[in-house]
Amino acid sequence: MTAPVAPANPGMVTLTIEGRIVVVPPGTNLIEAAKTAGVLIPHYCYHPSLPVAGVCRMCLVEVEKFPKLTPACATSVGEGQVVHVHSDKAREARKGVLEFLLINHPLDCPICDQAGECELQDYTFAEGRKDSRYMEPKRFNPMEDFGGDVLYVPNRCILCTRCVRFMDVMAKDPVLNVSERGDRAYIGKFEGRDLTHAWAGNVVDLCPVGALLSKDFLNRARAWELDRAASVCPSCSQGCNVMLETRDNVVVRIRPRPNAAVNQHFACDVGRMNYRWINRRDRLEYPVARTANALTPASWSEAVQQAAAAIGGATHVTVLASPSLSNETLFLLSRIAVHVGASSVMTMERGDEVPLPGVPDLSLRAERVANHTGAALFGSTESDAPLASLAAGDVLIVADAAASVTTIPDGVRVVVIGTVLHESLLPHVVAALPVCNFAEEDGTFTNLRGRVQRFLQAKAAPAQARPSYRVVGELATALGAGSFPPLAADVFAVMAATFPAFTGMTYRTLGLQGAPLPLLVEASA
Amino acid sequence: MAIRVKVMDRPVEQVSYVRATLSGLAHTFKHLVDPHKVTTQYPEETEALSKRWRGTHRMLTNEDGKAKCVACGLCPTVCPANCIKLVPGEDEQGNRFPLVFEIDEFRCIFCGYCQEVCPEEAIHLGRHYENAEYTRDGFVYDLERLTSQTHPVCEMWDPADPAGE
Repeated sequence: MTAPVAPANPGMVTLTIEGRIVVVPPGTNLIEAAKTAGVLIPHYCYHPSLPVAGVCRMCLVEVEKFPKLTPACATSVGEGQVVHVHSDKAREARKGVLEFLLINHPLDCPICDQAGECELQDYTFAEGRKDSRYMEPKRFNPMEDFGGDVLYVPNRCILCTRCVRFMDVMAKDPVLNVSERGDRAYIGKFEGRDLTHAWAGNVVDLCPVGALLSKDFLNRARAWELDRAASVCPSCSQGCNVMLETRDNVVVRIRPRPNAAVNQHFACDVGRMNYRWINRRDRLEYPVARTANALTPASWSEAVQQAAAAIGGATHVTVLASPSLSNETLFLLSRIAVHVGASSVMTMERGDEVPLPGVPDLSLRAERVANHTGAALFGSTESDAPLASLAAGDVLIVADAAASVTTIPDGVRVVVIGTVLHESLLPHVVAALPVCNFAEEDGTFTNLRGRVQRFLQAKAAPAQARPSYRVVGELATALGAGSFPPLAADVFAVMAATFPAFTGMTYRTLGLQGAPLPLLVEASA
Repeated sequence: MAIRVKVMDRPVEQVSYVRATLSGLAHTFKHLVDPHKVTTQYPEETEALSKRWRGTHRMLTNEDGKAKCVACGLCPTVCPANCIKLVPGEDEQGNRFPLVFEIDEFRCIFCGYCQEVCPEEAIHLGRHYENAEYTRDGFVYDLERLTSQTHPVCEMWDPADPAGE
């Protein structure tokens, strides 16, 4: 037999996996190499963001000229290797591994939250035995509350130790361990410690089976009922890539979406839990305008005209914009601000910064807003007392930032562009325009490192609410600040053409992984 | 041209109706005394249904009277008519159970997939066909109705003849 003819790939390793030629950098393990060829090697304990443990034995593959089967996760590629993933020998070995994993497994898929996204289900379906030969009583351990948001069901555990390694290596808060040994082994907590680390929720995602469950999501929905939309976490300025998972138009879960440049595979508990506000029902649902000293429902054009008239007739205009609005909306607000000579201010909620030590530059940031970098780019300045300079005759444009608005001097008129209409504003409002929140529209955020990342619509908007970029664009047009397209991608294109910071960017080039601002790339080059 | 009708000249014993009438009456009188019955006196009498008859649903209960359902979500997933509404919840012991379980019997096509897919053998089709309600809402069976009904349930297959031959 002649060796496969390797293409000239200096510095790379060429091997054959399932008959496909694969060229990867040296040191790559066989699981990752197989992925590049589109071959999935079944695995449990291996995770691309965690150190290799090689404990589950699920990734056994046959490599020619090796004396026995080898775990693909712990085997580096070698020049000219020929790997068989689905040979009879490898399949038989993995079948045996699965049979052992299922010996003490309760097979309670109907009541298990992981059902539908469970790797034990998937691989058993793909390669496992159809029945069990185990006759003895199964081991039983009671459920255990791990603290934080995590519930541990030891009967379902396959002891892959992903959670242990995450808390050890990534969180650097080694709370979990493998207690006992042999078939009595289970994941234990150290005495008196709880899984209260701010990033501990990741163990639920890492768990390939239903052993670690989120208490928040427990029994809420089945995995296959969920609709998923790629998004960006709005809870801090880190901009972790997330997946918004909805059931019947209600966001029920936020999970991290892998992005090697931002959050790898992780998201913090604050971001995971901060989704209930997205579903709130007390929304501003239709445009409102002031007629004869009362706020009444109005048509979109009436409300926009009324808002434009008030802004046009103001002595001074202040724009109070939420730094969690999208780049597109903030850009259009800046067009209005430039056109009428307004001052732009913002307020920011702050909290403690909680890093995930195992990943460089990944942290729950102190600024608990999604887009303060973008807001600053578009000329918004942070202020502790944003309304101090307001005087009678002024107009205040509140763009989804009403939470920070408390008292407004008499004689100041307010235009609300927001998801809710706060009661404290009511006496001052001349027009209120309902907009979508970030889960209901498309857009981009700029994170604190200047990475522009897209988020997609995950749910439908309530009643007459429209995307914020469209509403602000119409208001800008009514004010004579130019005409703007009604789609997020086109607004972004106008923005990229107007603002040098975004030059050359389009939704297509951003993709779903985002890209750093061109200026930053040049600065670092 | 006028239409010409050919008039057949037949013997009277061939064309007389008397013989046919008498033979028909004889048949009728024969059935009057024949014990073989064709008509079922519904509703006083009913025909026996096949064991595999698929009619309106029942939810079976366990010993303490609660529905066997664990709200796994397979029946609403498999239902081709989309007639099952299920909202899962947790009881005081932390067990999964259906907060809401409703079957719209108008939408149901009685395919039996829900019974076949159920891992807990909770939802069953019933050997039952007498359905009448004063309102359309009455045909949306909630959990209480599904569990309180007592009619026999469908056997999806005959244990003695699992292949259905």
